[in-house]
Amino acid sequence: MTVRALVIDDSRAMRRIVTGTLEGFGYETRQAGHGQEALDVLHEGWAPDLCTIDWNMPVMDGLQFVNAVRANPAWRAVTLMMVTSESEHGQIVRALAAGAHEYVIKPFTADAIRDKLALLGLLPQEVSL
Amino acid sequence: MNHPGDTGLRRRAGDAPPAIADLIHEATVQEITEQAWLALVGEDELLVPLPAPLPADTLSSWVEIVGPWTGSVVLTCGRATAVELTTALLRDHAPDVLEDEDVDDALGELANVVGGNVKAVLPGPSVLGLPEVGATPPAGSEADTCRVAVLWRGQPLTVSVQSHAERENEVPL
Repeated sequence: MTVRALVIDDSRAMRRIVTGTLEGFGYETRQAGHGQEALDVLHEGWAPDLCTIDWNMPVMDGLQFVNAVRANPAWRAVTLMMVTSESEHGQIVRALAAGAHEYVIKPFTADAIRDKLALLGLLPQEVSL
Repeated sequence: MNHPGDTGLRRRAGDAPPAIADLIHEATVQEITEQAWLALVGEDELLVPLPAPLPADTLSSWVEIVGPWTGSVVLTCGRATAVELTTALLRDHAPDVLEDEDVDDALGELANVVGGNVKAVLPGPSVLGLPEVGATPPAGSEADTCRVAVLWRGQPLTVSVQSHAERENEVPL
C-alpha cells in the first residue's frame, strides 16, 4: 500500500528535508509552498493520507490551512501533522484544537518523525518492523 | 491610521522596558542554536563557543519577534560559510547546483528554527515573522543584545537576539 503525504512549508530546504525523510519511509509525496497552494492540490483530487504543515507561511498560514481542511467533510480522512518552530504551549493547543492530530517542533530528527507516524498508524509495515 | 484594535494608548518602554539580558541568557541561545545544528545540519556538527572576527562578505538571516519583547533573532556568517551550511543542511537532497535562492532559503530556515525556539523562552504571547535574508541585518540596539559567537567547522558565525534599535518596546493597552 502506498502512503501519500503533502509536505507544506514555505522553505524549499525544509520541504526537501521532510520530503526526503518521508520518501525514505516509503511515502509518495507532493509539496506546497503555502496553505493555499496545498488546498489547490487537494482540490485537484490528489488525496494524501498525511499533510505535514508549517505554521508561519505567506499567503495562507498553517493554522488557516488546518481550519480549511477541517471545514470540508470530504477531507476528513486526512491526518494533519504540524511541523513547525512555533513551540509555545498556547500555539500547540490552538493547532490541536483546530484539528491537527500531531505536533512536531523544529528542529526535529528523522526518528522523531518516524515515532509520530508510528503513533498515527501511518508508518508502512516494512519500516516499523 | 490605527489598527482596529489599537486604542492609541501605549505602555511605553520607558516605563518598564524588558531588557533582553533579563529575559534570556547567552547559554540558552547557545543551547537552542546547538540543538538546531545537531538536528538540521548534522549529528556531528559541533558549535565551538569561540568568538572570531567575521569575514568582510557576510550574509545574515533573521526573524522578527513581536510581543511583550520586540526585536529580531539574527544569524550572521560569511557567505562561503552560508553555502557550506546549505550543502550540509540539504545533504542528499541538495540540488546539483546551489543557487543563491537555495542559500538564502536554508539560512532563513535556520534563523526561523532558532528564532521560534527563542520566542518560546521569551514572555508571550508573541508573533514570529517570516524569515528574511540580506547582506545587512536589521539595526539592533548594541546595548540591548544577547549575542553568541561560535565556530562551525572553524568558521565564525554569530546569533544575536537584539531589541529593535529605533522602535520602543510597546504594546497596546
